[in-house]
Amino acid sequence: MSNHQILNTADHAQLRVHTGAGAQFGDAAMAALVVPDEFRQLQAHYPIVFRRDNESGKFTALALFGFENGENLFLDGNEWTARYRPLSIAVQPFLVGQAPGGESEGQVHIDMDHPRVANDGEGTLLFDETGKATPFLEDISGKLGVLHAGYQASADFYEALARYELLEPFTFEVPLSNGSKHSLVGFHMIDEDKLRALDGDALGALHAEGHLLPIFMAVASLSNLSTLVERKDAKESRG
Amino acid sequence: MAGEFNRLVIVGGGTAGWLTACVLAARRPELDVTLVEAPDIPTIGVGEGSWPTLRDTLATIGIDEADFLEACDASFKQGSRFDGWVDGAPSDSYYHPFTPPVAGPMAEVLGAWAQRGDGTSFAAAVSPQAAICERDLAPRQRAMPAYAGALNYGYHLDAGKLAALLAGHAVDRLGVKHVHAQVTGVERDVDGLLTQLDLRDAEPLAGDFFVDCTGMAARLISGELGVGWVDRSDVSFNDRALAVQIPVEPGSAIASQTIGTAHEAGWLWDIALPTRRGIGCVYSSRFLDDAGAEQVLADYVAAQVPGADMAALAPRKLQFATGHRERFWEGNCLSVGLSAGFIEPLEASAIVLIELSAKALADGYPHSRAALPHLADRFNALFRYRWDRIVDFLKLHYVLSRREEPYWRAQRGAASVPASLAAQLELWRDHPPAPADFPQVDEIFSAASQQYVLYGMGFPLPAECNGAASDGAAKRLAEIAERSRALAAALPSNRTYLDALIASAHSRAAQGENA
Repeated sequence: MSNHQILNTADHAQLRVHTGAGAQFGDAAMAALVVPDEFRQLQAHYPIVFRRDNESGKFTALALFGFENGENLFLDGNEWTARYRPLSIAVQPFLVGQAPGGESEGQVHIDMDHPRVANDGEGTLLFDETGKATPFLEDISGKLGVLHAGYQASADFYEALARYELLEPFTFEVPLSNGSKHSLVGFHMIDEDKLRALDGDALGALHAEGHLLPIFMAVASLSNLSTLVERKDAKESRG
Repeated sequence: MAGEFNRLVIVGGGTAGWLTACVLAARRPELDVTLVEAPDIPTIGVGEGSWPTLRDTLATIGIDEADFLEACDASFKQGSRFDGWVDGAPSDSYYHPFTPPVAGPMAEVLGAWAQRGDGTSFAAAVSPQAAICERDLAPRQRAMPAYAGALNYGYHLDAGKLAALLAGHAVDRLGVKHVHAQVTGVERDVDGLLTQLDLRDAEPLAGDFFVDCTGMAARLISGELGVGWVDRSDVSFNDRALAVQIPVEPGSAIASQTIGTAHEAGWLWDIALPTRRGIGCVYSSRFLDDAGAEQVLADYVAAQVPGADMAALAPRKLQFATGHRERFWEGNCLSVGLSAGFIEPLEASAIVLIELSAKALADGYPHSRAALPHLADRFNALFRYRWDRIVDFLKLHYVLSRREEPYWRAQRGAASVPASLAAQLELWRDHPPAPADFPQVDEIFSAASQQYVLYGMGFPLPAECNGAASDGAAKRLAEIAERSRALAAALPSNRTYLDALIASAHSRAAQGENA
């Protein structure tokens, strides 16, 4: 399935990675995992929803790109039609690996089987002639750091949402102008009634822990559901 | 649209004729365009290097970039590199890239460049393009929209194939009529305007406006209308060239720039296409005989193209007169291409002059006889200005040299330097070349081009640059360095790009056959 390697100058001196958008690079996905630290950037473009893992009971956040598997309404050929891409997409095919048995900092790993790994001389180099990381890899390293920290901090965020029971399941009907309907099920969103009912102490505590901003960003992001429907509608009418 | 003046007749079918036909037919669909060319007249490939303007021209006439690259055996040209022009030492080399220098007051930029003192060349300091050229990289990725690039670029191309591509496009897509016949006579009316061409074994061809693309023969503008020639060989000495084409190994690197290498009595061009290199020796017969030039060419090929068999290459000999028409537009006839003028291809001005002429004609096409003299005056003034600027700019490459051979000393002789160029050089001791020094809207060689040549060749910085390095300028130069690194990582090699392009064209063609 995947073939993770620790990124290093010796093995990957000539390696290139495709940085463009496109279904051929694995971008045709209906959602991506996101972290609360990027909710502010995400809410300008995407609906942010939550999903509970049935086994662990833990929540994760997702940015929605479409309404069915494999549907990315932000993908137009080789263009991603939003200014911000979620970090988990932007860092592909890289990931943070943990050094064995270490509390030490994460290492940059690469999934050599990912379709973004280039083998045709096109794509962007990771290292320059002197073995120094290219600006592209420097940027990726920065994003991986933010993403890694975001994952680590997100446990507290979901713990706080659970404490105040701020997540509720929801179903969203997608009415299309051609008469057909889709529905979005299995996701959770912020329960606005419960949020509104929180008292000053609770709000103060959430704010002190830095959770209030992402909560409101998630609430605001749901206005993007209607623009996502418009994208779907436009795509269906184009055929 | 019904009009009195819609019959456009173009005589001659090389790059000039077909490019003019395409531009006029695309921009002026009301015109009834006919191109007449004599069968079996060989065309002279005018230049194999284009300017960035060709992207816009091809897009305007509706040719797909990938189709063009494949059909014309083309590669990307991102500028020129001049080797040996200052003093001929091994390290003597500078770039004139197509991407202009970083924005901001040039005095501040020059001050910041001088302050760095790390030996970075002017071109490498102010633009990422030199770094990309050094690595033989393409100016764009294949996924980018057609005719767009991370850096500014034109093309190297096979001029014969370009003419063939344009001819097919003109006839099949743009409705241009193609007549194969020799012109045997020209009819004129009482006002002296051309009215029709008599053709061998074909009906006479009547027209309202005529474009002379008959090359050096200048059949209409000179032969019929007697417009005189302005000789510029007093400034531009070179009058001969020896040209060879050398096949290259599959997979070999493709240079991103035209390489112009100075020699004792002229210079050599070196242009890399995917399948061949075009190399030529340009020289002045006053200073070097043909045998000497052949030796210069053979030495260059031996040094630069390992494995090439010079003995098997029969250099094509070209002789040329440097100059241009006294008037390019006379009555209802416009000369475009070699019939209008010629100068050595040092900055690849041949194709761009064709484009500019066609564009100017499309912008100001006459709809009546009354408009003719006014449009002619406008065109003639503009193109006389452009020729003067080209002559000056090419001369700039010579006057800044410190080479000591008789040819090079003569090039610096005050009598051979136009007064306008001498005046500019005075000005540039006072301040760096600025847009205000070049007042035309479509200036043929912008201040940026002059800056690259001046500071590439070590022209002294004006006093105002000393200590002018602002924090802003230093920061912009640092950004250029970072952008150079980013682009060097992100751009594919020319070879990778062009091989992938051909492979994908072939797979598209195969799918088409199977469909």
